[in-house]
Amino acid sequence: MVHASLLPSEFAVRFEGVSCRIGKRTVLEGVDLAMKQGEITGILGPNGAGKTTLLSIITGLRTPHTGSVTVLGERVSARHPELYRKIGVVLQETALYDELTTFENLQFAASLYGIAAPRSRIEAVLQRLDLSDRTRQRVGQLSGGMRRRVILARALLHSPELLIIDEPTLGVDVEARHTIWSHLRVLRSFGTTVIVSTNYLDEAIALCDTVAVLRAGRVIVSDTPEGLVARAGSCLDIECTAGAGEALKAALVHTEGVLRTQLTPTGLSVFLQGSALPDPILRTALQTTTIRGFRMRGADLAEVFHALEPLS
Amino acid sequence: MRRSDLQAVVGGFQAEILQLRRSPLFVFLTIVQAITFLLLVSLFGLTGSSAPVALICKDTGPYARTFISTLESTHHSFDLKEMDLASATAALHRGDLVGILTIPEDFSQSVLFGKDVTIRIDIDNVNTDMTDDVQRGLPSAIVRFGQQLHLPDLHVRVVEQDLIPHDTGYIAYLVVSGLVLNAFVIAGILSATAIAREFESGTIKLLSLAPTSAFFPLAGRAAATTVFAGGALLLPLAIVVFGYRIVPVHPMAAVGALMLCTALFSCLGIVLGALLKRTVPVASLIVGMSLPLYLCSGALEPERYDGEKLWILGHLSPVYHAVGVVQMAFHGLKVTPESTSVNILALACWLVAMLALAAWLLRRRTP
Repeated sequence: MVHASLLPSEFAVRFEGVSCRIGKRTVLEGVDLAMKQGEITGILGPNGAGKTTLLSIITGLRTPHTGSVTVLGERVSARHPELYRKIGVVLQETALYDELTTFENLQFAASLYGIAAPRSRIEAVLQRLDLSDRTRQRVGQLSGGMRRRVILARALLHSPELLIIDEPTLGVDVEARHTIWSHLRVLRSFGTTVIVSTNYLDEAIALCDTVAVLRAGRVIVSDTPEGLVARAGSCLDIECTAGAGEALKAALVHTEGVLRTQLTPTGLSVFLQGSALPDPILRTALQTTTIRGFRMRGADLAEVFHALEPLS
Repeated sequence: MRRSDLQAVVGGFQAEILQLRRSPLFVFLTIVQAITFLLLVSLFGLTGSSAPVALICKDTGPYARTFISTLESTHHSFDLKEMDLASATAALHRGDLVGILTIPEDFSQSVLFGKDVTIRIDIDNVNTDMTDDVQRGLPSAIVRFGQQLHLPDLHVRVVEQDLIPHDTGYIAYLVVSGLVLNAFVIAGILSATAIAREFESGTIKLLSLAPTSAFFPLAGRAAATTVFAGGALLLPLAIVVFGYRIVPVHPMAAVGALMLCTALFSCLGIVLGALLKRTVPVASLIVGMSLPLYLCSGALEPERYDGEKLWILGHLSPVYHAVGVVQMAFHGLKVTPESTSVNILALACWLVAMLALAAWLLRRRTP
């Protein structure tokens, strides 16, 4: 976990002991988090974990009840107009003016940021996001994925140092998802700091340099994707009968490299340490019982949370 | 109908009830609108049935009294008040009376001996509706009076004396007042929905995340809706001028008054839009408000005819002053006791107050 006491210049965003309540409900509690400049940081967590609230605090849309937040060297407590020149925000809702065209929406956004000669800038951003052929189309006629890209284009219009995206691929198809990921990677290569919130583990792993896992308003771990996978381990699903699964579970209790086991309706799932190989497990399985099949896969979000349970 | 269909009906019923319970604002406004229509029809009745008319009875004979009671029971549009000539004339010129009915001192004698008798009516002919009422009402009272007293040889003549040198048709009067209603609906709805839409669609959050205050783009939008509403108002204005052939007596004043109304009602729309933050309720509220405001502001006839309470109530609405200004601009009619400059000043004060309130609300409501 990256500690908040490191040199501030390294970090685009720092949270120190931040708590936030909405009504009587505590949404964030004692959050200490630092997000490095020039990296893509993922905020991973299930719905209601506090991801959107965390991003709202960075943008000043919400004020924390305790603790402090520093964004690009500025202490943020409420609305911070000068800071908004340096940050771009993509909210969860695709809030655009449906009756206006893509170009007109961006033209209006450009007026808010005082962009001189906006036409060339808009055309450049649209080209970068493969939206050039949609310039004159009304936003209300665009697909969900396209709208998401228009929102992203809007956020990039003023070349922000920090880009904050709430659920970048929410409701978009696989192709659009990969397109958005590649755009974000390009941004990182140009030195833009990106913070994304997501509840897709694969997205966090594929996209982020650092992933902070949020659960019930607390950051339970902050690590590289590889580190996170290593903590959760890889998973060997073994198909067998229920009785055989129980016998196998007992046999694997002290096996080296096994993090934990879990009975499933189709047999047994065995979670292995990052570096462990499945061969000894399969050998034990074949010696203990009859198996119908097996497959190796990465852990899913629920399994990651399960693995991180002792930390929370 | 199958059992599963019935289950779906029950499910839909329950879901809608839940939805309505969780949309209290929408439900409240819908009910308020229904109540405004109740008030509307009441106002309609009130405004058309009690035109204040002074009665100067110079005759002390028995026939004069009988004629007055016949008059009171025959025509209910008049609220007859016995007054002396000086105070009645002053009230008529002040605008507190529709007319003065004078019964001559020889009325009873002339009726008794079958001589010609002349009843004088001085009338504020602000529109022909009132003049028509008099022209219909008095002969009918005279005929009834003759029938009651079995006077077949009754020679009563009515002489009408108009306060204003020219007559204004009732339609012409109503249509000009209607332009104020048009300004209220067009400017109010356009501005209110422009502001409410920002909250409803969530774009207000994006505006709040820009370096400039969200107030400025919203002010720009409101200015655009005001300009657009001003332009849109030219169409009903053209219909009035070219369709109804009502040429304003003071054209520049007419255009100026309507532009002032547009700006004022646009600000009112911004206030309502920022308060309600929902497009459908705010639009229906403005439509719902428009008719009672219109009726209670001297749109059908000068508000002073509707009694003291309604007249005072009318002052609470800018539409009252607006109707006063446009009637003067189009027909040269003074329909309010207040002068035109006082009405313009009142509208300007309303505009400043609404502008300040709109600006304050926009600043407060944007994060």
